[in-house]
Amino acid sequence: MARVEEGFAPSARGRRPVLVAEFGRALGWRLIAWSPVIAVLIAWEVFARSGAVSPFMLPPLSRVFERIASDAASGELVIAVALTLWRALAGFLIAAVVGVALGLAMARVRLVYWFFDPIVSIGFPVPKIAFLPIIVLWLGFYDVSKITMIAFNAIFPVVTATVVGVYGVEKEIIWSARNVGTNERAMLWEILLPAALPQIFTGLQVALPIAIIVGIVTEMAMGGYGVGGSMQTASRMADSLGVFAGIIVTAVVGYILVKLMSVLRRRLLVWHQEAMEPTTA
Amino acid sequence: MAVNGAQIVIDRLSHVYRPPHGRPVLAVDDVSLAVSHREFIALLGPSGCGKSTLLYLIGGFLPTETGTITVDSRPIAGPGPDRGIVFQHFALFPWKTVRANVMYGLKRSGLPRAEQEKRAQAFIDLVGLCGFEDSFPSQLSGGMKQRTAIARTLAIDPDILLMDEPFGALDAQTRSLMQSELLSIWQRSPKTVIFVTHDVQEAVFLAQRVAVMSARPGRIKALVDVNIDRGDPHLFRSKPFVDKVDEIWELVRAEAIKAQQGKER
Amino acid sequence: MSEPRARALPALASALWRYVPVVLLLALWQAASDFGWVSTAVLPPLLSVLSSGYDLITTAEFWEHTAASLYRGSVGLLLSIVIGGALGIGMAWWRPVNYLLSPIVELFYPLPKSALIPVTALWLGFGDTSKILLIFLGCMLPVTIGAFNGARGSEQTLVWSARSLGASRLQTLRDVVVPSAMPELLNGIRTALALSFILLVSSELIVARKGLGSMIGFLGDGGNYDAMFAVVLAVAMLGFFADRIYQVMMQRALRWRE
Repeated sequence: MARVEEGFAPSARGRRPVLVAEFGRALGWRLIAWSPVIAVLIAWEVFARSGAVSPFMLPPLSRVFERIASDAASGELVIAVALTLWRALAGFLIAAVVGVALGLAMARVRLVYWFFDPIVSIGFPVPKIAFLPIIVLWLGFYDVSKITMIAFNAIFPVVTATVVGVYGVEKEIIWSARNVGTNERAMLWEILLPAALPQIFTGLQVALPIAIIVGIVTEMAMGGYGVGGSMQTASRMADSLGVFAGIIVTAVVGYILVKLMSVLRRRLLVWHQEAMEPTTA
Repeated sequence: MAVNGAQIVIDRLSHVYRPPHGRPVLAVDDVSLAVSHREFIALLGPSGCGKSTLLYLIGGFLPTETGTITVDSRPIAGPGPDRGIVFQHFALFPWKTVRANVMYGLKRSGLPRAEQEKRAQAFIDLVGLCGFEDSFPSQLSGGMKQRTAIARTLAIDPDILLMDEPFGALDAQTRSLMQSELLSIWQRSPKTVIFVTHDVQEAVFLAQRVAVMSARPGRIKALVDVNIDRGDPHLFRSKPFVDKVDEIWELVRAEAIKAQQGKER
Repeated sequence: MSEPRARALPALASALWRYVPVVLLLALWQAASDFGWVSTAVLPPLLSVLSSGYDLITTAEFWEHTAASLYRGSVGLLLSIVIGGALGIGMAWWRPVNYLLSPIVELFYPLPKSALIPVTALWLGFGDTSKILLIFLGCMLPVTIGAFNGARGSEQTLVWSARSLGASRLQTLRDVVVPSAMPELLNGIRTALALSFILLVSSELIVARKGLGSMIGFLGDGGNYDAMFAVVLAVAMLGFFADRIYQVMMQRALRWRE
């Protein structure tokens, strides 16, 4: 659909209105995509102010926003979010590194697979949060136990995805590489990992929200600072604004991180055919 | 157009296909056709010409844009058991056994259950699936699935049988066997059959009349009577058959080329 | 018919072989205490954990807590299945329902359901109802999405076949759309099952005085680590076997698939 007749160097004067129109159109589409969310938020506000429920049960959205703003101004919000994020991301990174390493080992060495497969398979449906008191017993009440718990939860999807990803690498690719004399180390770094990367990245994308939520739950269980801790404190003190503020902050932080992962995926996997397809994100 | 005594009368029918994204497309354009009782008529045309759409309109599955369809002088109001349909990809209920599929239409017949089972069994035997009553569709071959679909539709004894390229998903050998079986079933208990196909030989073999449709938007380009002696054991090589196929193919060829070009654009 | 049984034996053997590493780990656990590799304060010997567990089973208290947990979990899950399933199918079948409800579904999709723990505790306190509400709200989403996608995916030709065989619109909904939705719906329920365990244990650890989660908590606080480990293992096994049993039931229900 190229309009060749426009010439190769359209004048600057002609370009500006086109750019503005393009931007406006992109913004328009964004608005339409978000309109259901906006509709629900408006419905919240209206319903909360209607008097059908007490402001304690469902505070109006506008007052929740005020609360978030004041927490942001006082610095409390930043501290809480930073703390939670630090723990979640630390746990996530550990899960990512150890998980990929373990997954690779499982995919390449039969003995390792045999040993860890039942553990991974059992681990999935088990509510791993039940192990929190044990981890606290072993590692104390501070960040170490929280981060360990997070890593323990987040590692499962990473391992599974890595195994599936490496298994899924086409045999022909491996044989071609062997044919030209690739040694084991190069095979790993230059062939297997890149080929399995889409699947591995998907596992990481599943693990990140898990890391966030486990972080928040451990904070709720153990108290203290952080988004989860603040929410639990607010709940105990019947501070419903605080509780709802926490829900919104959690949702927004989670959404931003998930979006960042999508963008990262597109950048990293630029060579993969998935990235070539139009995204709806 | 001799409309008296016709069972199905289609008068100046049009249908516009409106996809959720994209522009509306005129699928069927001003089609008029009269089908007599117990007539076997084929709708023949290139891919995308609207022949299946026309069939679905007669079946009552799609809304008409303009024009009317009447059956026995009454306009149709949605799908109904008077017009049974058989689809290309069988459309069997995969969670039901063969017997349960065939019995599905009988549940509303008011017959006692034992009667329903007997009737269903009769049709299962008719299509040669005796012994497979308790199999699931996933365990059957393509030909067997299609036989189940035909038995299911015949079991409710519709006046009209609508068939949408029913043998298109089968391999050539099975297809040819099924064509002969369909013909013999029809000869034994004649019904009105409207048979959609893109295969000229199939149309000439089965139908008494062939409606040749143009490339999209679909119009009826020609109506050709087929008077051949189907008792001839060397039918496919006989002169009347070959001549008739050539005659109809000439009519279709230009449309097929048009349809092909339409796709490439 | 001896053939299926002959096939079952090697299948059973290979299933057992698969879990041998777990047995090895358990042996390792016991060895760690026997050989003094780890202090028994930190890791009670497997045998004493098992014997504590056995003692627990004989107490009424244990069963009260178990009953409380099972009650909350199953009521919440059942409600979420029935209402979530109906909602999902309703959204797929009637467009106005879809317009009304899908923004809400989309909004709740990225929200971590555990974030609702403080708010349900705020509304309903420390008892059963707050947990039931939490599990109901949290587990509804995977069920609704599974039902919706499954119903959406029902083939047009199946719907048309049913109609032409005389079924009314509602009968078609019941006879075609609901069964078509089953594979995805049952998968959604499997997710909801695992999620219900997570939400149940989390909320009981944080905001409860009764239930297995809270039992773990106060056993730990009281220094009774043998029993604490025993209950943790019991909860883990409960979650594991619930999933496995559900899988078997799901396979049976979907045995018509190839």
